Amino acid sequence: MVELRSTGKPRAAVRTWTSFMTDFSIIGKPIAMVDAAEKTTGAGKYTDDLSLPGMLIGKILHSPHPHARIKRIDTSRAQKLNDVIAVVVGADAPNPYGILPVGHDEHALAIDKVRYIGDNLACVVAVSEATAEAALELVEVEYEILPAYFDPEESMKAESNLIHDNKPHNLEKDYHHTFGDPDKGFAQSDYVTESRYLANEVTHAAMEPHSTLASFDIDSQTGQAGRLTVWSSTQVPYYLQHKLSLVLDMPMSQIRVIKPLVGGGFGGKSEVIPLEIIAAVAARKAKAPVKITYTREEVFWAHRGRPRTIIDLKTGVKNDGRITAVKARVVQDGGAYCSYGVVTILYSGALLGALYDIPNIHYDGYRVLTNKPACGAMRGHGTVNVRFAFESQLDEIAGRLQIDPAEIRRRNLLKPPCITVNGLRVQSYGLPECIDKIVERSGWKSRKGKMPKSRGLGIACSHYVSGAANSIIRSDMPHSTVNIKIDRDGGVVVYTGASEIGQGSDTMTAQVAAETLGCALSRIKIVAADTDLTPIDIGSYSSRVTFMAGNATMRAAQEVKKQIASAAAKKMNCAPEDLVFRDDSVFKQSTDHVGAGLRPAQEEQNSASVSGRVEGQILRGSLQQKRKDEGPKDSMSFEEAVVATIDFHGALTGTGSYAPPLEARGGKHKGGGVGPSPAYSYSAQVAEVSVDEDTGEVTVHKVWAAHDCGRALNPVSVEGQIIGSVWMGMGQALTEEMVWKDGLLMNPGLLEYRSPSSVESPEIEPIIVESIDPEGPFGAKECSEGSLAATIPAIANAIYDAVGIRLRESPFTPERVLAALRAKKNAKTLDMTEGVDPTAPVRLREHGGALWFKGKGPERHELDPARRTEGG
Amino acid sequence: MKKQLIELRVNGRPRELAVEPSKLLLETLRQDLQLTGSKRGCDDSSCGACTVLIDGVPMLSCTLLAASCEGQEITTVEGVSEHGALAAIQKAYGDWGGAQCGFCTPGFMMTVKHLLATTANPSEAEIREALSSNLCRCTGYSQMYQAIKAAIEAEQKGMDSLSQQVAK
Amino acid sequence: MSLADFKLLRPRTLDEAISLLAPQAGEGARATRVIAGGTDLIPSMRQKLFEPEYVLDIRQIAELKGIRETEQGTEIGALTTLSCIERSSVLKQHYPVLVEAAKTVASPVIRNMATLGGNICLDTRCLWYNQSLTWRKSCGFCIKKDGDLCHVAAGGKKCWAAFSGDTPAALLCLEAEIELAGPQGTRRLPLNDFYTGEGDSYRRLQLNELLTRIILPKATADLSGTYRKLRIRGSIDYPLAGVAITLKCLNGHIESGRIALTAVNPAPVLVKKASEVLQGKRLDEELAELVGDLAAKTAKPLTTSALTPEYRREMIRVFTKRALLALAN
Ligand SMILES: Cc1cc2nc3c(=O)[nH]c(=O)nc-3n(C[C@H](O)[C@H](O)[C@H](O)COP(=O)(O)OP(=O)(O)OC[C@H]3O[C@@H](n4cnc5c(N)ncnc54)[C@H](O)[C@@H]3O)c2cc1C
Ligand code: FES
Ligand code: FES
Repeated sequence: MVELRSTGKPRAAVRTWTSFMTDFSIIGKPIAMVDAAEKTTGAGKYTDDLSLPGMLIGKILHSPHPHARIKRIDTSRAQKLNDVIAVVVGADAPNPYGILPVGHDEHALAIDKVRYIGDNLACVVAVSEATAEAALELVEVEYEILPAYFDPEESMKAESNLIHDNKPHNLEKDYHHTFGDPDKGFAQSDYVTESRYLANEVTHAAMEPHSTLASFDIDSQTGQAGRLTVWSSTQVPYYLQHKLSLVLDMPMSQIRVIKPLVGGGFGGKSEVIPLEIIAAVAARKAKAPVKITYTREEVFWAHRGRPRTIIDLKTGVKNDGRITAVKARVVQDGGAYCSYGVVTILYSGALLGALYDIPNIHYDGYRVLTNKPACGAMRGHGTVNVRFAFESQLDEIAGRLQIDPAEIRRRNLLKPPCITVNGLRVQSYGLPECIDKIVERSGWKSRKGKMPKSRGLGIACSHYVSGAANSIIRSDMPHSTVNIKIDRDGGVVVYTGASEIGQGSDTMTAQVAAETLGCALSRIKIVAADTDLTPIDIGSYSSRVTFMAGNATMRAAQEVKKQIASAAAKKMNCAPEDLVFRDDSVFKQSTDHVGAGLRPAQEEQNSASVSGRVEGQILRGSLQQKRKDEGPKDSMSFEEAVVATIDFHGALTGTGSYAPPLEARGGKHKGGGVGPSPAYSYSAQVAEVSVDEDTGEVTVHKVWAAHDCGRALNPVSVEGQIIGSVWMGMGQALTEEMVWKDGLLMNPGLLEYRSPSSVESPEIEPIIVESIDPEGPFGAKECSEGSLAATIPAIANAIYDAVGIRLRESPFTPERVLAALRAKKNAKTLDMTEGVDPTAPVRLREHGGALWFKGKGPERHELDPARRTEGG
Repeated sequence: MKKQLIELRVNGRPRELAVEPSKLLLETLRQDLQLTGSKRGCDDSSCGACTVLIDGVPMLSCTLLAASCEGQEITTVEGVSEHGALAAIQKAYGDWGGAQCGFCTPGFMMTVKHLLATTANPSEAEIREALSSNLCRCTGYSQMYQAIKAAIEAEQKGMDSLSQQVAK
Repeated sequence: MSLADFKLLRPRTLDEAISLLAPQAGEGARATRVIAGGTDLIPSMRQKLFEPEYVLDIRQIAELKGIRETEQGTEIGALTTLSCIERSSVLKQHYPVLVEAAKTVASPVIRNMATLGGNICLDTRCLWYNQSLTWRKSCGFCIKKDGDLCHVAAGGKKCWAAFSGDTPAALLCLEAEIELAGPQGTRRLPLNDFYTGEGDSYRRLQLNELLTRIILPKATADLSGTYRKLRIRGSIDYPLAGVAITLKCLNGHIESGRIALTAVNPAPVLVKKASEVLQGKRLDEELAELVGDLAAKTAKPLTTSALTPEYRREMIRVFTKRALLALAN
């Protein structure tokens, strides 16, 4: 850690809801989301709610084999079925694509090989869903089955039958980083511990299944198909536009992507999902609008969730608990395509830093290809599983050294502003306050160690980026740009490319614009995420929107505000700097601004008295006239000021953009571009659990979650995001797991993939900590992802506190917990492995039935690695 | 398959439709009546996003045949708001963060509407139980409890002021 | 996932239903399917597990609904919903174990639709079976539907799909009888005889028959009883193991006791020896342990669902023991 010169800024101020009513009028207020009514009335439109005249339905044929060469594909019988309009195959759009420039390994539809059960082979376009489904049964495909790989450590040994020919040993990417001098660090330590952790695979399971509607216009000049419009449930409309252009060989200017309401993303819609490309290709071939909506099973195949991760972690500490060195080897079971994989494996290493002060780090990361659906970015991208390992190990160390687990974390704090050993710049740092708060609220000091039998408390911390400092497409382009237009009607239209996916992006934009302009929230109209209308924003991922699009919005608003101020100043006979914009009016700083509450009421009266029966423009004209007659004033309404400005300057528009500062863009090492962020959020949590020692069932009673979000722009939203993150972390900790049998997903539905219901969802007490980041909009940082990672280890540590078992494999299902309890007591053991496929590699059998579900399963090649170890 | 003429009562209005006997109520609402408020979140009847009221009782519209609902009163989320304004529960869901992405919200509106209609002052446990048919992936449910309590309070206040007016 | 085409029949009376069913019954995959609440049938039809030519919707038949006290005991119409059973004061008072089991089924909204008849007739379940057509194709189907091999059982020649209804375990403890109506009239049989123990042809219901009533005998009224269910979530989930127990105690001694299991075998089953062992004894830790072991031996779970079979069997033991001790206090 390199300490930076202190900015002299006071330390984070800790505030709670009630004390938010600061000097702002809209920021910090718990307001309803601007689109709440659309959602509660059902009036809002999600992609699948849209239809176009003549619209057709597309259905995709998926591979039944985990790895096979396509010898022949014959669509003629399907094509002949009544009401089938077109059948699309790989050859219709052979250009490869992928979300990362280094990972263009996907095709709209498979060209010569299928690489996982669920891979996309063909798409039938028909008049109805039922017809399209029936036609799928008529597509004939002949395969040559190839050996398949399901276990990353087996896959890494592969010499032949590679998943992608250009990836030797099925290794998507590996990184080996050394920061500081880890050997020396371990040598200096008093205590070293090392363990293997395993986090099983989870997925986003957003409630809205992906949906895309694609339609071509007819060009007036050529009379042929012209521009393409795509409505899609996406977090990244601009990346989608870019990839569509690649695959369809069309200029980006001829493609318009519109994002309607999106029913949750969590990263699952943060890259281009096969159906988005397929729908466009299908619409081109069918010469009609085509809509494809995934079944829930297809959503699971599209996946892009959090990979199953094997973590070998070693930590060295001094007797006082100070960490001297950390070594981590991380292997990720990435699935059949690159997706965000290279970024994920880098985050896993980079985010070892920036939470605590760790002087020496060694990291080996392996992203491995396997014949399963591709993993990608999921809430807490890259950090979650490693954080589970790290915080669990830290707890173990604290126990060993007899240091309070909260205290050991305090002893390893960073001293910001600083740059960590792996090149991450940390400025605002509310972690100490987060720890203090949860210790206080949970009664940690008085209750820890004195809990009733089988009940325990566990603590853990986490952090996350507020947007990546480097975009995935290396360029100097701003990451967000926002335009504002104000017209004579006094309405403020904000054009932003930022993608609302339920996290409150549109509301944040409206609040930031209204606060900056000092106008009423009701004046703001958001036009968002439409590539034709809104300037580029790279999307809703890595928790970047509030920080980046928020800053861009603020800058755009400041630009128009400047213009309004100069016009209003002339009217008021003062300098623009003397003006205050607030509560929908503009007034001289010197005037006694008589309370925020009074003004609007006065204004109302005022305009009412002038308005009479006249409307719109005439009203404003007469208002102007009246003002002129009265001579200079000390204040004007926002609307008057706007009209005055437009009279002076003409149209009132402003643009603001944001690019992360150079200092925040990270170290120069290979892969050093991933991990740096302009600001990090911090979280500390205490979980209270009880364990049923006869059944192994774990009940989470309560989680106290303190989160440093810089400034809470909208406390209801911030609390909602904290709760949602903690809750999703709890799902991964206890109930959620993708269960596989030879690449076949055993639980591809919401009945068997168990997202928690309200009954077992605990009380979560969100505690907002505000560290006021120097660069965030109004001091704001991330609040939607960072909390997730702390929950899993907090629960694991609480289970240890309750019953003395260390769970190193997630989720902590009752069978795993009971097996550990029995082993500890040396009681009659529950053989977790009895039911496991005997042909599974021995190493994997240790972990029970989850990965290698017992059963015959899909047809396999005789050279399959798993077959080779038969009986072994 | 040949379509069949059926008459459904939806949100108080009779609607005559030609549908296949195999058509699910959810598809009929969304595709034939353009009532797209009810959502499809799953294919195994496990998520509750499609919940509607059938004769006042919440049921899964993805698990009912449209033709089986003839003669029954169907209420969808589009029938919840009152006289062009938000019902108390809708307002409260907005104010308290009960809806984030909103995809599960129409389903919750229906189950909560039924809860409020049948249980005067539900306890926290009763609320949890009542919500347990619907999955939400965003909120962790917590803020929904606050919203429901706020809606009950708002309605009671509304009732009080109404009865006061009447008394006057 | 749309449903395959069918013709819908909507009789208003039982007689009409029987007369419609008899000639249309059909056979095999195309056989007519009766739909009550539809909460089992509809998801299965979406997965193309059934593609019937006719669907007989019995929801309109009023005479199949409701709970009635009679000379012999209490009769429940097959169409009575589970939420109706949950709320029934008669059942709460006299047959609490049934109410408790009904309350654990699926979720409140599903219980508004789900019928008791449907719960009894519920198809057996298996992760290799309850999947979409595409999914099933990718593993060459299974013996229960379209294939010739069981994925989970050694040898693979018998279907081991698990019966996963909650209420039948309680009903077995209550010695319930059921009434079936067909073109030849009605027949009555103990519920226990309704199930075959096979995973595929799991029930003894002729294609032209309807389940009309469930009869709870007077003899088993007012027994103390309880139902314990293993599930991962507190709602929605099917049972992964279930134990129902009824006891009749006098002066601290057990006069009679019955234990039934569900979700761990292809049929809900009574733990036969348990009744003998319990009879006349005073319930203590040791006896509870012994009976728990008996129950666990009766359970034959395989990898048909989430959680390992070993664990599920173990939970049968733990639940049985715990429930017995809880009832004894
Ligand atoms: C998400 C989900 C979770 C579930 N969880 C549970 C659970 O926890 N426990 C549980 O027990 N069940 C569960 N179920 C299954 C189901 O909801 C119940 O078993 C329900 O009671 C079935 O009743 P139904 O009326 O809906 O049956 P239907 O689907 O209408 O019928 C089921 C079967 O019975 C036949 N049938 C129905 N009535 C008659 C009759 N009168 N005569 C002849 N045949 C008849 C049908 O032909 C069909 O084969 C769940 C279902 C879902 C979708
Ligand atoms: S759509 Fe999921 S339950 Fe109806
Ligand atoms: S608000 Fe998004 S699923 Fe509930």
